Amino acid sequence: MLRGVLGKTFRLAGYTIQYGCIAHCAFEYVGGVVMCSGPSMEPTIQNSDIVFAENLSRHFYGIQRGDIVIAKSPSDPKSNICKRVIGLEGDKILTTSPSDIFKNCSYVPTGHVWLEGDNLQNSTDSRYYGPIPYGLIRGRIFFKIWPFRDFGFLRDSPNGHRFSDD
Amino acid sequence: MAQSQGWLRRYFKAFCKGFFVAVPVAVTFLDRVACVARVEGASMQPSLNPGGSQTSDVVLLNHWKVRNFEVQRGDIVSLVSPKNPEQKIIKRVIALEGDIVRTIGHKNRLVKVPRGHMWVEGDHHGHSFDSNSFGPVSLGLLHAHATHILWPPERWQRLESVLPPERFPIHTSEE
Repeated sequence: MLRGVLGKTFRLAGYTIQYGCIAHCAFEYVGGVVMCSGPSMEPTIQNSDIVFAENLSRHFYGIQRGDIVIAKSPSDPKSNICKRVIGLEGDKILTTSPSDIFKNCSYVPTGHVWLEGDNLQNSTDSRYYGPIPYGLIRGRIFFKIWPFRDFGFLRDSPNGHRFSDD
Repeated sequence: MAQSQGWLRRYFKAFCKGFFVAVPVAVTFLDRVACVARVEGASMQPSLNPGGSQTSDVVLLNHWKVRNFEVQRGDIVSLVSPKNPEQKIIKRVIALEGDIVRTIGHKNRLVKVPRGHMWVEGDHHGHSFDSNSFGPVSLGLLHAHATHILWPPERWQRLESVLPPERFPIHTSEE
């Protein structure tokens, strides 16, 4: 009787480990479903939207300007941020608002990216904490699943003027 | 003929079953628990690679210890290089968030480590591409904690978390 229970427990543990490992490989190397919170990516992504993120671009270093990425927050490694890539390494970024008379530019250093939320008025992003290392990027968001009326591929940035022409 | 074909199909089924169990478990173990790596370069001499390019040390990297990004001053850690995401670098943690460090060769003489960041340095000052070049690094880039040297056998040892006294931060956040 005890041997039966022990056998069943071990079998259950074995299956849990096996499926846990398959889940880890899927999330780490392929992608997964993510729920976003916060207003910094409105109108593209609203609070409590569910999106699909893929991790292949990160592993093959295929992240491009205009992609929406999930990254680890530079000041809190346990939380994630969801922003759009405005500049890659070497790009020139305008760090002052267009209404200022004297324009202040800076270049994105090697190995870093410049992120900004689509909701420029309500977003803490690279304009506040500077460019973040590429190694913090976890994945690329490319598809929205919920709410159903917005189902489909995500639209382009509403702030096209922020992208450099170089 | 039918019997040999049946044998092949059973073998194939057993192989697939084993493959889909063994590969994810092995990959998860190497990503989440521990792996080994060969150390290259002279930036951590004399703790690692004292023989230069003749023999490279092989270290045991422990991912499990840093799963909550908890490191102590003096730990030897591996992290994703902030200048080149394809490369991992291995350095010693000198200071944690809130500490003030006296830098060597950095543009500012004193630097306060921001929240969520750490200051890493190689033991071989002057031959090390570390925080003195690229500043404090985010804890999110932490990869693993190097705990033991596994190869060559005469260098089997546990790596101690020792902070050289001349590199103590001038102000730690606990004070």
